[in-house]
Amino acid sequence: MKNKVVAMLLAGGQGSRLKSLTYNIAKPAIPFGGKYRIIDFPLSNCVNSEIHTVGVLTQYQPHMLHRYIGLGTPWDLDRRNGGVTMLTPYAEMDGIKWYNGTANAIYQNLTYLMEQDPEYVLILSGDHIYKMDYQKMLEFHKSHKADATISVIEVPWGEASRFGIMNTDEDMNVTEFVEKPKEPESNLASMGVYIFNWQKLKKYLTIDDGNENSSHDFGKNIIPLMLEAGEKLVAYPFKGYWKDVGTVESLWEANMDLLDAHSGLNLHDPGWRIFSSNRQLPPQVVTETGELQEVFVNEGCVIEGKAEKSIIFQEVHIEQGASLYECVVMNCVVIGAGAKLARTIIPPDLVIPKNFEMGDPEGEIILLTQEMIDEWKESAEV
Amino acid sequence: MKLVAIIDATVKLPGLEDLTLYRSAASIPFAGRYRLIDFTLSNIVNSGITSVGVFPSYPFVSLMDHIGRGKSWDLDRRKDGLFFLPVSTKDSGQMSVGGFAALEEHMVFFERSRQEYAVITNCFTVSQIDYEDMLESHIESGADVTEAVSNGQPLRSYILKRSLLIEFLKNYRQNQVFSVEDCVRRKKSSYKFGVYEYEGYCAVIDSIDSYFKASMDLLEPEKRNALFLPERPIYTKVKDEPPTRYMKGSSVKRALVANGSTIRGTVVDSIISRAVVIKENTKADHCIIMQKCTIEENCDLAYVIADKNVFIEAGTVLKGTAEEPIVLRKGERILKEEVR
Repeated sequence: MKNKVVAMLLAGGQGSRLKSLTYNIAKPAIPFGGKYRIIDFPLSNCVNSEIHTVGVLTQYQPHMLHRYIGLGTPWDLDRRNGGVTMLTPYAEMDGIKWYNGTANAIYQNLTYLMEQDPEYVLILSGDHIYKMDYQKMLEFHKSHKADATISVIEVPWGEASRFGIMNTDEDMNVTEFVEKPKEPESNLASMGVYIFNWQKLKKYLTIDDGNENSSHDFGKNIIPLMLEAGEKLVAYPFKGYWKDVGTVESLWEANMDLLDAHSGLNLHDPGWRIFSSNRQLPPQVVTETGELQEVFVNEGCVIEGKAEKSIIFQEVHIEQGASLYECVVMNCVVIGAGAKLARTIIPPDLVIPKNFEMGDPEGEIILLTQEMIDEWKESAEV
Repeated sequence: MKLVAIIDATVKLPGLEDLTLYRSAASIPFAGRYRLIDFTLSNIVNSGITSVGVFPSYPFVSLMDHIGRGKSWDLDRRKDGLFFLPVSTKDSGQMSVGGFAALEEHMVFFERSRQEYAVITNCFTVSQIDYEDMLESHIESGADVTEAVSNGQPLRSYILKRSLLIEFLKNYRQNQVFSVEDCVRRKKSSYKFGVYEYEGYCAVIDSIDSYFKASMDLLEPEKRNALFLPERPIYTKVKDEPPTRYMKGSSVKRALVANGSTIRGTVVDSIISRAVVIKENTKADHCIIMQKCTIEENCDLAYVIADKNVFIEAGTVLKGTAEEPIVLRKGERILKEEVR
């Protein structure tokens, strides 16, 4: 097939800054937005962009992700040709090779890519919340006759030193890539979304693999290597919502952005659906005492208490007299009667005791854990 | 499993005409995110039955679209699974369950099934009946045909041996008995008839009145919890709707709400389906609003059943009563001027 694109979705990251949320699951599997997981966004972007061959690279705690993605049915990726393929590290004659760096993870799956024999390879990461039409980026890549295109987004100058920054000339040709520059020359941050001409990608991944000093990273190694060799690299300026949800704060912020009509993150757009594996649950119930203001609620919930500016996942029970403010309540949580929580992320399955209190409406973002609940219980008994 | 299930979706329910102009009674929306047949199909699969024949008559496009190959019920199997067996229009429009003229059109289905027993059921009963339990009772009693009843009300579901059903189908013209239900009602023949007492939640939906009452029942926790059992889920066709948004200024009390809706107004004692929009200063009281309806600003609605895709113009006042709710047909546009 001409113009064939294969997407390679890097989903092996641990996301250690998300603490207890990623003890048992990989970062792309973290629940988001009341019913989704982070990985639903790049997967849905792929199918909405008519890219139907997706390799998902997993390494850290892969079971949940594998079971979740299954045959790819919820994203319409259960296909005779292409579809979704889970790519984990595997054993060869000379031993088991763990993925060591983003570029190395792709290098170790060259066999998969050779079987697919694409024209272009789209590299994605599984830890960003955004809606993007990759076809538009591909058009840009083709019209610029580039060897590689890196999607960039303008970030506030003050924050530029937190990102991988692309320095470009007037025609968007990349002149330099700088990882977290102290004094940034540009505010174009790499989104971790790349399109490569397949043959060029193969060539440079192979060269990079021979370099023992390389950390086998796309940003740090492959891009500079290609620039050095004089290949044409361009930056594709993406306009729209994009957020790296690598920390507790940014995960909370991205959830709150759903409640803000001006944030640019709209899930109620039938033209660009985010697909997800749907549980079969009854509708949500709001009782006589339920009170909801600026809240997202998923199926299977029973709301008897109060919630404001919050995201409520499936099968949550908020008991009478409980109140939530700016909270993210993940699936199957019970909020006990009279409990008061603010600015708190509540991971799945936690049972919040009656009259429990946590968080300040003006305060820092808290990621609640079972230990914190146990401590509170002990201090309440004394 | 010794049971094959037959869902007779050809039965006409004159009382539900407003909701069945474009669809079979089987695909009438219910409880916000379901169609009536979901309850029957889910009971069937929750009873461990893996072979199901669905017999619809025209118009069945909506039903076909809903159940597809049965994936949502795990019935898309290589062996057994779901069989969609439309019945020609000439003999449809019957009033009783298990009409032989309709079933006869797919004699091959009965002959090829391997199961010893058959359950013949309808698609307008909402319950949590366990057909496996009913089969046990049928076998124990030694009856030829067993009927399910709840508090004396017939649920119009029957279990009999598949061989007996084939015998009925071959001889019905001669015997002048026209359906399984007919056979049970008349109890004329030399067969032994049994009764299976079902004790859980149930509602037979055969009129707007019973549809409205059964819907409002779901707002009572005891009844709702008796219908939605975590260990026996009700399955339906999956949609990719996002969670429902409760906007600033909204007020929702005693309501059952499906996903994908946006609520800016007031909702009390009502059922709201998927992807419904209720705008500012609008009140819906004792209403059933089906999917993709839009109710504009400053409306006042009470006792209204709005079928799919209804649009209600800003400022419209519509007041039905508990005895006579107002039914708005699928796709209707209600303009303020016309209501006056």
